[in-house]
Amino acid sequence: MSLAANFRTFFFLNRSILYWLVLGPFRKQPLRISAVFQQMVRIGVQAFPMTALTSLSIGLTLAMQGAHELARMGATAYVPDLVAMTILRELGPLLVGVVVIGRSGSAVTAELGTMKVGEEIEALEVMSINPVRFLVVPRFLAMMVMLPVLTVFGNYIGLAGGWLICHFSLDMSTAAYIQRLMEAAQPDDLFTGIIKSIVFAWLIILISCQAGLGVSGGAEGVGQATTSSVVTSILAMLVANAVLTAIFFIT
Amino acid sequence: MPDTVIEVRDLVRKFGTRTVLNGISFSVNKGDTVIIMGGSGCGKSTLLRHIIGAMKPTSGSIRLFGEEITTMPQIQLEKLRLRFGMNFQFGALLQSLTVGENVALPIIENSRVDPGIVDLIVKMKLELVGLTGFEHLKPAEISGGMRKRVGLARAVAMDPELLFSDEPTSGLDPIMTAVIDQLTLDLTQKLDMTAVVVSHDMTSAFRIGTKMIVLGAGKRAGTIIAQGTPDEIRNHPDPEVQQFIKGEPDGPVPLKLSPEDYIDRLLDLPGQKEND
Ligand SMILES: Nc1ncnc2c1ncn2[C@@H]1O[C@H](COP(=O)(O)OP(=O)(O)OP(=O)(O)O)[C@@H](O)[C@H]1O
Ligand SMILES: [Mg+2]
Repeated sequence: MSLAANFRTFFFLNRSILYWLVLGPFRKQPLRISAVFQQMVRIGVQAFPMTALTSLSIGLTLAMQGAHELARMGATAYVPDLVAMTILRELGPLLVGVVVIGRSGSAVTAELGTMKVGEEIEALEVMSINPVRFLVVPRFLAMMVMLPVLTVFGNYIGLAGGWLICHFSLDMSTAAYIQRLMEAAQPDDLFTGIIKSIVFAWLIILISCQAGLGVSGGAEGVGQATTSSVVTSILAMLVANAVLTAIFFIT
Repeated sequence: MPDTVIEVRDLVRKFGTRTVLNGISFSVNKGDTVIIMGGSGCGKSTLLRHIIGAMKPTSGSIRLFGEEITTMPQIQLEKLRLRFGMNFQFGALLQSLTVGENVALPIIENSRVDPGIVDLIVKMKLELVGLTGFEHLKPAEISGGMRKRVGLARAVAMDPELLFSDEPTSGLDPIMTAVIDQLTLDLTQKLDMTAVVVSHDMTSAFRIGTKMIVLGAGKRAGTIIAQGTPDEIRNHPDPEVQQFIKGEPDGPVPLKLSPEDYIDRLLDLPGQKEND
């Protein structure tokens, strides 16, 4: 499919998600809350361990690198600043995004793609069950809620990683570390990160669903769609991140 | 004509350069059981897909219950689909749901029925196809023939006025075939349902059909070469029809290519023609 056609499909998918979110309840086909929770568990809750591991390791490495460099200027007191800024503003949302693309976005594409190949989507349509309402909307809502939640969670774990280094290696007291964090990080830093993660969530779930629903050509098609959904999601997220950083911090 | 349920006129469908359906016309009256026959790959499933509105024709018209569906907006089509059920050739069950949930799905999504009643309906429909007690298994845990019967149970879950069934009995044992045939007969005769059944099984076709359509192969691919009552088909003069219903390996539809053609194909020489 050409790029233009892809953008068109992207637009139409957005439109029909909006349609079912807003008008669905009036058409006697309301959203299935149970399906949303089920997807929240699969997309979000099950990604917690992986998110924790990634964030912890980033918090640790950032603090180690920071401590090493800042020690030469005798400024190790500023390690918490460095960790907080980097994680809250940039790395937190981005890394959690990558984790979720890798384990949840790809799973969504593979699942929808397999359903497409197995005529399940067609069967739904014939039963007058709109696939967007039945399959896409619950995944969309789950992702929109869970990615920001995971990001906030990842932020805390990352900061805890920084604390481990500061406390045990730089002999900083816990109170001093927290106080330094409070002074360095503004609420806005957290909020911009959350806004970023909301935009990422929207991009990831739409790209994953679109790739899955567009599968043709058997198991091979599912594999290709999954790869392309992961690659496209990561690219889209990086571009969006650059744009959002420019908007939030440069202007 | 108030009781014409399906009316297909000059239906043409091309996939790229290949014409799979080439000017199909027929009509189905209420209460009929139409059997669609034809060689493998001749376009029977494709024809059904067009009638249920899952595919759009290249040209031609399809009317269901008097309404043109080829140009119908999606929302209206969704409403119309509540009046019919489709049993897919490979079941097309939702793999993530159990057998019972699959059958319950159209009922839960399209009507406001108490969950207790839904359970009851599901049990009844599974009983009809001889699958009592399999509600809690996933489609991956049952056999191909069983999957097909679940597909049929799901197709009739909403008590449709019109049932499409794509090879409902292929892969079933003779007894189960008779059960499914009897079910179709009961539904059409007692509930006045209309059925369109794709079938390769001549015994079963002549047992349930009130009208038959034979799609051609080779030069006449994509067209109807014979249609009529079972008796008319049984005595049809066309040798290809006779070959088909008698199940003879050789005849107008050749068993083997001529030696020259065979060599051409094998060596992939230019001038070869696709003959699907
Ligand atoms: N989506 C598609 N794209 C391209 N060609 C297709 C598509 N669907 C079907 N065809 C072609 O249309 C022809 C008819 O296919 P169809 O599935 O309708 O056959 P059939 O009569 O149901 O065969 P069988 O009895 O084996 O089920 C085949 O030659 C197939 O290659
Ligand atoms: Mg078929």
